[in-house]
Amino acid sequence: MKPRIAFFDMASCEGCQLALLDCEDIFLDLLELVDIVEFREALSETSPRIDIAFIEGSIHREMDADRLRGIRARSRLLVALGACACNGNVQARSNLYSPAGNLGAVYGPGDRDRVQTDPEWWPLWAHTRVRPLRELVRVDYELRGCPMVKEEFLHLLKRLLLGSLPHTAAHAVCVECKQQGNECVFERGETCMGQITWAGCHAICISHGYRCDGCRGLLPDANLAAHRALMRARGLSEETIEDRYRLFCSHEIDRGRP
Amino acid sequence: MDAFLASKRQFLDWLRHTAADTETFFPQPLGEASFQFARVRPDSPLRLEDWDSGTPREAFRASANPVPPGKLLSPPGETLFRFRRDPDGRLEFFPVLDDAPRIIAGIRPCDLHAIHLLDGIQSAGVPDPHYLSRRGHTTLIAHDCLQPCDEHCFCDAVGALRQRQGADLFLTPMEDGLLVEVLSEKGAALVEGAGFSPCGDREARLAWAEGQRARPFGRPLPASPEAIAGILAGSGASPVWREHSERCFSCGTCNLVCPTCYCFDVSDDIDLAAPAEGRRCRTWDGCMLPDFAQVAGGHDFRPGTAARQHHRVARKFQYLPRQMATGSHCVGCGRCGHQCTVDIDIYDIVKDLVERAGP
Ligand code: SF4
Ligand code: SF4
Repeated sequence: MKPRIAFFDMASCEGCQLALLDCEDIFLDLLELVDIVEFREALSETSPRIDIAFIEGSIHREMDADRLRGIRARSRLLVALGACACNGNVQARSNLYSPAGNLGAVYGPGDRDRVQTDPEWWPLWAHTRVRPLRELVRVDYELRGCPMVKEEFLHLLKRLLLGSLPHTAAHAVCVECKQQGNECVFERGETCMGQITWAGCHAICISHGYRCDGCRGLLPDANLAAHRALMRARGLSEETIEDRYRLFCSHEIDRGRP
Repeated sequence: MDAFLASKRQFLDWLRHTAADTETFFPQPLGEASFQFARVRPDSPLRLEDWDSGTPREAFRASANPVPPGKLLSPPGETLFRFRRDPDGRLEFFPVLDDAPRIIAGIRPCDLHAIHLLDGIQSAGVPDPHYLSRRGHTTLIAHDCLQPCDEHCFCDAVGALRQRQGADLFLTPMEDGLLVEVLSEKGAALVEGAGFSPCGDREARLAWAEGQRARPFGRPLPASPEAIAGILAGSGASPVWREHSERCFSCGTCNLVCPTCYCFDVSDDIDLAAPAEGRRCRTWDGCMLPDFAQVAGGHDFRPGTAARQHHRVARKFQYLPRQMATGSHCVGCGRCGHQCTVDIDIYDIVKDLVERAGP
């Protein structure tokens, strides 16, 4: 029997699943090798048993946490797909505010009050905090990035189908900058988060003339103290530095990671 | 062997002409303040201005060149071999060797010295056929430096400035153009028909150039490379390692920009459409990277940036020189210090070690 793979989405923009559909050149080959049993972007069936579950998005409400535990229970391997699932992405910044404060800021005071008193609205209130998957269940593999990188997805899938270990290096974006032959962003007098960010993106932003803002998350041993000092020495204000780190890595900063 | 004289213009025109037949690389601007060894195309901006003190932006500086020329001999992601499992389950292997002819020109003595050291390493023990095939099909055109590239240079302190061996053609800047010395058969074949004028006073010209050379040349070190090797051997407990690595990111930049670093990692790539076929590739790795010294089970036998810095410096000044019976494997190009975003400079580390070791 072909391995059954499934895709699920939690709180996300579904951009990773779209990036997945961008793999059209190999999609037909893929379907020869696996059965896609759940995929809201393309299918409406559900399956009692899954070999590899790919989950996009972060967890905000208890009902989503329950759904995630349910998927975990019927999946042999679980893969976090993209920055939201891996580290909470930009939305993790809302963890700095109370749920009521957030609701009020987005929907106004009327809805903020109603959500706390009207049982019909209760599910909205049940939003506690933004959590990446690994805070709730065991995650076997993480495909980082906003959005995830197609080549990494294919690599992981091929390795899992062949029963061998995926080859994901835990090092900085600077490595890929060198492989791409880029000029370092600091050489043109600007700043970059590449030194403390997980590689795997082929330094795509820098290769296209931008800097790294850290969408793949902070490396486990990221030397944040040294990076902060460097950003200060390059003339960035404390507020700007905080904004830069919090854009994609808010959850890791709050967790005291690294 | 022969020597010729050419004007700079004549030389660059000839190089462009040669590049039409053979893939040729020459230093060209990269981004706002850097350089890359890029393919020479009909409209490439080729400059030799650094030989008559042009503006810093025009002058090629080794330290501002993140990918040294020798890396063209081991490109990242290269395929080592292809494999296929036949219907009976037997594996077949098909080696992949790159034998395309190439010319790399505009090489400074530090980078030439680095390629010479790599030649030794890649030929010793189990020779590396992939490197050696590219190397054998590559012609090197190097040139002398009469002035250090910039404040990062310390090539003379580590014995790299006088390097000539390994070059096929060697150029020296003259008041009236370039002295083109032929150092190999390959070089002789390449300049045949170039139309450069024969040079009858090579020795006098070399003596003139020597008189023009800056003295001291680049940053001096307070000890010889041999003495440094000795000091390093007893430096494991030195506070220098921690002091110079507290701000280190383990980003690996210093390894990857180093012209004598050659560590690599291999992985297999398998085609989804044909799972019985694939290729083994290799890419650059570096001892400063956090997962470099990790082994099965997750154990890391060099945890922390201080231990990694010690290893990196000892590789250049102690381990490889002893193992290969050569001089320093740091060629003093200044790349690692310049490219490190927190200015961790191998020169400062070594100088600090020597000074603290006392007389
Ligand atoms: S541009 Fe950023 S990622 Fe690239 S080498 Fe510089 S710091 Fe590292
Ligand atoms: S010394 Fe500098 S370039 Fe080398 S790993 Fe540390 S931070 Fe990166």
